[in-house]
Amino acid sequence: MCAMRLTGYADLFGVNPGKTIQFYVNCDGPKNYKAEIVKMIHGDTNPRGPGHIEEKVNADCDGEYPGRKQVIYSGSYGVLADNRHLQAESVTLQCWVWPTMPKTHPKYWKHGAQGLMTKWCDGKGYGLFINEEGCLEFRVNGERITTGVPIRDHAWHFVAATYDAKSGKAVLFHEPQIQYALDPEIPPVEKKLGVKIEHTARVPFAVAAYVDRLDKGALAQASVPAGIVMAGHYSGKIDSPRLCDRALSRQEIETMKLGAQPGLTERRHSGPTGALSECIVGSWDFSDGINTIVGRDLGPYLYDLQIVNCPTRAMTGHNFSGHNFDWKHAPKEYGAIHFHDDDIDDARWAVDFEWTVPSNQKSAFYAVKLTTSKGDEDYIPFWVVPEVGKAKAKIAYMVPTISYMAYANEHLANNAGGAELLVYRVPIMQDQNMFLSEHREYGGSIYDTHTDGSGLCLSSRLRPILSIRPKYDHFLMQAPWQYPADLHMIYWLETMGYDYDVITDEDVTYDGLARLEQYSVVITGSHPEHNTGSQLDALHNYTQQGGRLMYMGADAWYWVHSYHPAYDHLGRGIVTEMRRCESGIRTWRADPGEYYHQGTGELGGMWRYRGRYLHSVAGTGMSSEGFDISSYYSRTPESNDPRVSWAFDGIDFDEKLGNFGLVGGGAAGTELDIVDTMLGSPPHTLVVATSAGRHTEAYLLVMEDFGFNQQGLDGTQHPRVRSDIAYHETPNGGACFAFSSIAFCGSLPWNKCDNNISKLVGNVLNRFMQDGPLPPPPADAFKHRGRADYDPPTNKKRK
Amino acid sequence: MIPIPKKGTPERARLIAEHKACIDSMKGVAGCTILRCATPGDTTEVSGGIHEDFLLNRVLLRMRAMNPADGKGKLVVICTKIEKEWRIGRLAGVRGVPPTFVGDKIYDNEQDPQHDIFVMRLDEMEEFDGYPEHFREGWKRRDDNWTRT
Repeated sequence: MCAMRLTGYADLFGVNPGKTIQFYVNCDGPKNYKAEIVKMIHGDTNPRGPGHIEEKVNADCDGEYPGRKQVIYSGSYGVLADNRHLQAESVTLQCWVWPTMPKTHPKYWKHGAQGLMTKWCDGKGYGLFINEEGCLEFRVNGERITTGVPIRDHAWHFVAATYDAKSGKAVLFHEPQIQYALDPEIPPVEKKLGVKIEHTARVPFAVAAYVDRLDKGALAQASVPAGIVMAGHYSGKIDSPRLCDRALSRQEIETMKLGAQPGLTERRHSGPTGALSECIVGSWDFSDGINTIVGRDLGPYLYDLQIVNCPTRAMTGHNFSGHNFDWKHAPKEYGAIHFHDDDIDDARWAVDFEWTVPSNQKSAFYAVKLTTSKGDEDYIPFWVVPEVGKAKAKIAYMVPTISYMAYANEHLANNAGGAELLVYRVPIMQDQNMFLSEHREYGGSIYDTHTDGSGLCLSSRLRPILSIRPKYDHFLMQAPWQYPADLHMIYWLETMGYDYDVITDEDVTYDGLARLEQYSVVITGSHPEHNTGSQLDALHNYTQQGGRLMYMGADAWYWVHSYHPAYDHLGRGIVTEMRRCESGIRTWRADPGEYYHQGTGELGGMWRYRGRYLHSVAGTGMSSEGFDISSYYSRTPESNDPRVSWAFDGIDFDEKLGNFGLVGGGAAGTELDIVDTMLGSPPHTLVVATSAGRHTEAYLLVMEDFGFNQQGLDGTQHPRVRSDIAYHETPNGGACFAFSSIAFCGSLPWNKCDNNISKLVGNVLNRFMQDGPLPPPPADAFKHRGRADYDPPTNKKRK
Repeated sequence: MIPIPKKGTPERARLIAEHKACIDSMKGVAGCTILRCATPGDTTEVSGGIHEDFLLNRVLLRMRAMNPADGKGKLVVICTKIEKEWRIGRLAGVRGVPPTFVGDKIYDNEQDPQHDIFVMRLDEMEEFDGYPEHFREGWKRRDDNWTRT
């Protein structure tokens, strides 16, 4: 089988000149490897294009390094360091659970028992589990008692276990919240164990996992806590866990569901009753601190849990009433955390080497190229970004790093039935896909579902992201996608001799307009689909004050993203969050009540449904997608309008625009944008070229553009399945040019950049990069225009 | 629902021939569909294939809708040397279990395996494969299977 023995990541996406970037490398096998900093020019290996191109930088960190294996400990859990209260003689454990995968396939990568609430390791301690057979199980040392009843998945259950040291009796309760008519009763299980609970020092208390081993080895330092390796990662929700240091009666357990009661007046104890307050070890309330990675303990000892690997919070609890969908308005109904066995927030590897970027280093795409003498190879991309306010060029290329994170390590070719109905052919997998299909611990993308089938809505950049690589064709298009596709534009800029700076989504999100205002023109990536609100604000403010925007792709400004504030201490933009709500192209669908981000509390989903139409940012917005082959454009009569005719200097009116290219064989393909003045395109927008009527049956209208299903939605039939290249002016001499197809930039390198797409883009860039405001439009262009009136039929006329 | 043509039928032979012609014409395109390029390797004008042969269109849809674990495992293409070598593999249908190679054949282009997989599926799929009685729910059942959501 194929394998990647070299993988790695950096602590930064964007690094300023003069600053240091650190690299983490897993070298699994070879004794050493070579590292070289390279400038990335082109990453597409297609023989019909220029091929892979990189330039050696000769950095002072270049050299041979000793190889060492580094591993990722994925799977989320809560953990509390060992303490004397945890080392109880008698216990009561109780919580609500909503398991999603109580029983797994024997070949499953984490097959086995799952820990719910445990202080247990290697036959010592106590814990509540779901066993390998999918039944609730209580362990005291090596003794195990179970209901023998498979616990229903995707349903709430109240579960509890008690052990009384004096009587030696253990009791296990499993009480489903929903009882169907033919469900047998599940009586409590009692057994006399007569043992003394043994405690292993340093073994912590864990929620949603148990301790596999205490390990002094180097690899285990990447686990949390370092040197303590967890196992039995639970998949599902846990709500309101309580731990007491004596065996409670069933009646007391019922009262303890209330937990510590900080709301009482005239306080005398932590509640819920005076007697119960005396036995609480921990009474955790996950509705407190939803935007944190702390599991808050409201009990007397303030034993907050450290929440590891960023499980999903702001999840509906066992008491969700459906009246409030925003957790901020009904926090007590959001007391659940959904843990997953494949969550990952930080690989936590040891640093292998670092590079202090010279203060005069040109802003550009860079990577560390890792190789071994045995032919192993990997690249760790990063970007040298000017300090804010110190732009070096008139042109900025805005790298869509949030979108890269959204697509990070996707498994769709493997999991989603190859997504074959979508791509309309058999998908092609590469080394990266093969590696990830075996190494689930590297985590998935926001396009994937977790291993338990629930939506994956958080993505970290502190892990190797094998989809952000050169020489990588994506299964969607049998061609580059995102990072390597964006290098098509970089190759063109380099070949045509333009001087440009590189900035990232992170920079624009955190720095706002200050990141953009020094540039005459900002160029986007081919597919900047995922965006924060402050980034969209910055782009609007930029074009409003005279900035020029070249939107080089399609399906942009689509999903609401936010960076999780709980990771700010590790740097900018560590974890991004997105929820797939009621509409849009969704590879999974959020459950009712789970639309609001856990990090910022904002409503997730499409920007369109937050009233920020995609078409308002650069003039066009997504209307269809298909992934088999691409087509080409024809000019429209509006392309002769003097407001825009300069863009076509040197291009005949009847030329086929972009009937060639490295993505699908044409410039108009994959995901396509159109002008729609009812969805935010300014009414003075000019459609200068269109691909109307040229797409295959694989192309389909997006679901947010129709209200009910009916035939006739594909590229051979529906008039909205097309791409419109469009232009509009913004105030103060600004403008937007939207090229409206993800495949578009794949045509730029064709024939060594000597082609009509290259000519068109060059004309636009040369005009947009000039100093000062653009020349004003002719006086007769200023007139009142309605929105619904806009519909020039000649723009969609077929050639 | 439309059955998959059995071995020895003229319909089957027709589908195979049309599929092969489409695939051959797609060589050189950074993408692929079951349509004929008027000029090989150039998508400016495409016709035939799924746009004109209704049976081919429907049989392909049925094949594409297979579950990863259906039959012996859903067939995929695996690039083993970038721009040089491709092989056919099968999905495991179990998360964490990687695809396995099928046979030893090594292809020197990325389009030919598409056709061989089409023929293999014609051989492997029952006439009524994919009919309602074979349907398995997918969504939220950990299959992550877009074809059966």
